[in-house]
Amino acid sequence: MKALLLILFKWLAILVGGGVLLVVAVILLISAGLMVLMLLQAVGLVRRVPLGYNVRNLMVRWRTTLLTGLAFTLVVALMTVMLAFVNGMYALTKGSAVAGNVMVLADGATDEVFSDLGYGDISTLENKEYIKRAEVRQDNKTEVRPLVSWELYQVVAQQLPNPQPGKRSSRFVQVRGIEDPVVAGMVHELPLHEGGQWFDRGAGIQAVPGGGNEQYVQGVLGEGLARELGRDVAKPSLAVGDTFELGPRKWVVVGIMKSAGKTFDSEVWAKREVVGAMLRKMTRSTAVIRVADGLDPAQVAREITSDFKSPAVQAQTETQYFESLNGTNQTFLIAIIFVTVFMGVGGVFGVMNTMFAAIAQRTRDIGVMRILGFARWQILVSFFLESLLLALIGGLVGCALGSLADGLSATSQMSGGQGGGKSVMLKLVVDARILMVGLVFSVLMGCVGGLLPALSAIRLKPLDAMH
Amino acid sequence: MNSIDEVLLRFTSDWRNPVGIAALALVLFVAILYWEQTRFMLKSLRRNVLRSVLTGMATFILVLVITLVWSILAFLDRQTAAKSENLKAIITEKYQLPSQMPISYATSLAEGAPRNAGDYRVNPAKDSMLWAFYGGTLDPNKKTRENIIFFFAMEPSKIISYDNRTKKYSSMMDDIDQATDEEKRLLNDACREMEKYPYKVLVGPTRLAQMNKRVGERFKVTSLNYKEIDLEFEILGEIPGGRYELSAAMNYQYLQDAIESYNKGKSKDKQHAMTERTLALMWVRVPDMDAFERVAQQISSSPEYTTPAVKCDTASSGIASFLDAYKDLLFGMRWLLVPAILVTMSLVIANAISISVRERRVEMAVLKVLGFSPNQILSLVLGEALLIGCTSGLISGWLTYFLINDLVGGLALPIAFFGKFFISDAAPWWGLSIGAATALAGSVLPAWSARSVKVSEVFSKVA
Repeated sequence: MKALLLILFKWLAILVGGGVLLVVAVILLISAGLMVLMLLQAVGLVRRVPLGYNVRNLMVRWRTTLLTGLAFTLVVALMTVMLAFVNGMYALTKGSAVAGNVMVLADGATDEVFSDLGYGDISTLENKEYIKRAEVRQDNKTEVRPLVSWELYQVVAQQLPNPQPGKRSSRFVQVRGIEDPVVAGMVHELPLHEGGQWFDRGAGIQAVPGGGNEQYVQGVLGEGLARELGRDVAKPSLAVGDTFELGPRKWVVVGIMKSAGKTFDSEVWAKREVVGAMLRKMTRSTAVIRVADGLDPAQVAREITSDFKSPAVQAQTETQYFESLNGTNQTFLIAIIFVTVFMGVGGVFGVMNTMFAAIAQRTRDIGVMRILGFARWQILVSFFLESLLLALIGGLVGCALGSLADGLSATSQMSGGQGGGKSVMLKLVVDARILMVGLVFSVLMGCVGGLLPALSAIRLKPLDAMH
Repeated sequence: MNSIDEVLLRFTSDWRNPVGIAALALVLFVAILYWEQTRFMLKSLRRNVLRSVLTGMATFILVLVITLVWSILAFLDRQTAAKSENLKAIITEKYQLPSQMPISYATSLAEGAPRNAGDYRVNPAKDSMLWAFYGGTLDPNKKTRENIIFFFAMEPSKIISYDNRTKKYSSMMDDIDQATDEEKRLLNDACREMEKYPYKVLVGPTRLAQMNKRVGERFKVTSLNYKEIDLEFEILGEIPGGRYELSAAMNYQYLQDAIESYNKGKSKDKQHAMTERTLALMWVRVPDMDAFERVAQQISSSPEYTTPAVKCDTASSGIASFLDAYKDLLFGMRWLLVPAILVTMSLVIANAISISVRERRVEMAVLKVLGFSPNQILSLVLGEALLIGCTSGLISGWLTYFLINDLVGGLALPIAFFGKFFISDAAPWWGLSIGAATALAGSVLPAWSARSVKVSEVFSKVA
């Protein structure tokens, strides 16, 4: 029975969906024709219905105009904010990748957190010719080093101070153990803020004033994480010299990365050996290399994958890796399209109500216009234009409201959908593309909602309308 | 701070809500008692069928979206709500994620780590469950989402077992109790089979379809998280639908045997890297918060669990930590999306009712002349709006429930480790409440304007 219903439902959905699509396509086609006519009217090639007539009507019925316009405004504003969120996620994945970088994970690992590169022949990676070498200045010395960053990526549960009973008691912090912080900074193009420094290449731990004999782990924080941890101690952000607890150790901030717009914004970096010992993982999960100038990173990635077999590895360009994390973004995007379309349909019914009422109230106007010599199509254009005007104004205000979300911070999760993933802090991005989508969607709602009532207006006969 | 929807969701958490049924009965009683007025409202709505239908359709569509959003929020709220009795304690590695504890912890953790006389002791046979995760790909050369499968490795007796004494099925897994008796019986048989033949596994129906496999088929998994521990499985059956649609369950013993076989004859440093890391988490069921506190204290103070250290959370607290990454998204859904839809609905209804009132000013004046009081006219207009709002809301809520739960089999939206969401049983109530509230909010001003119609002004214009 259920299977039969499901088949029926599927067919019904296909029929209804197909029918609706067909109707919308026809409406859009007619709308496009009407817009051409409007253009012709605007340049004076055909006689026009004065625009002032429609504007005055909207103003006279200002309450209805306001209510309908507000519905457009809300739908478009909401759509703008939701798309800005997804846009921010895409910007983050795009901004995190460096074009010339290749990322190496253990074969089969779907994410850094599951990768274990070990210490087999992969350790000879830095001797390869395809790796870029650059002058690195550290501890007042300058030397040429291969740009290979050996990393251990882990997620650590940090106990929250004073959790409420039954509520969240811990926060997941992404920790990246790094072997050579200066090289890692160069590879990922992450400079430090003034006043900070990378943890030293020695022990990676230090004593702090007032901390007794305890050795604190030197940590370099992403800006977003510094702000998040700052809230625990009622500060806008942790700063160099501040301390915090993470895992079984106490940490001291030695630097803050300029990491806005990258996934590294939510990470803390420390010496790999210290992180490994703390989490019982004395290995490396990731190697990120900068490819020598003039070489194709994708080709180098293929070479690495075929060269190293102990352990077997999979290399990909950093761009490909971050693109693979867009799975969540796509899911969110589909959900947003679904919600927006449904809200839009609700809005369209509202516009139809308004326009049908407008026509019902102005049947005499229509009769007079027909007697004055206006053709049916001109009446059609007139009412259609009114609906578009309403949609455009509502949409513009909606876009303006939605734009206020630009730059707001939000947290989210990124994943390719095969396990793993990263918690990220992102900024909502409202750009011209989103505003254009908002306006087009609003005009589309105006077209669909306005055309049917406008078509009903042209069916009126002049003498009947005058009665 | 509780949002309006949280209050409403709690109020209408079950379709058998007595207050809701009483309110509905009262409304129907009043409608029958004042049948003439009700008939008048229906007639008024019939006069402009197109407008009534458009307004109803707008309400229908928007209620559908809210029902979907609220179903997700209500489910997550339920998962993160602190319980005071019959709660689950989740024991995991204290610092690292994913949690990887040695299996040697399992025996004592299953009892709640009692060390002294008087300590709280959990019944390990009934009230504890170990979890491990084994994942891999069906095709090592093609690691697509369809080819990758993750198993919950656990003790089959904890998935479900039948107590001959009480004649009842018991399970440590959430929502298994909602399966039908027949499903429970089949699942119980399957679990006994898994105990006998550890290579046999259960797979969720959707996952099975994604893998393009059928019950009875065998397949090999090349492991992603247990390198070189590649296992062969036979599909024994499906896990009852719902929450476990995308999941798969295997006997933990099969994984443990494979690791032991891999390590056989090898020195400690050559043994598999995951040997001491197979236990992901342990669930223990305790009757109340006091028992939970005691177990948590016993575990955290035990010298047995130092490398790695472990922690004990309530299920709600553990899930809340996982949902933290989605907090802004959920905030946006609760405080931006839902209110915006509610306001849009009110606007659409307000627009329709105000147009209707403007068109019928003469009619309102005539009604006043005929002896209708201003409040009666106010009630008539409000009644029309409520009739549209409640009817379309109720139908929308019910239809959403039927379509998503019964026909589609859940709403696929991966948030944290929840793959699918189901529409709440109370969806028709939500639809009714939302329809009524937005209709009322949208029609108050137009109704007030109808109430205030001045007969002399209207007739002077007509004249």
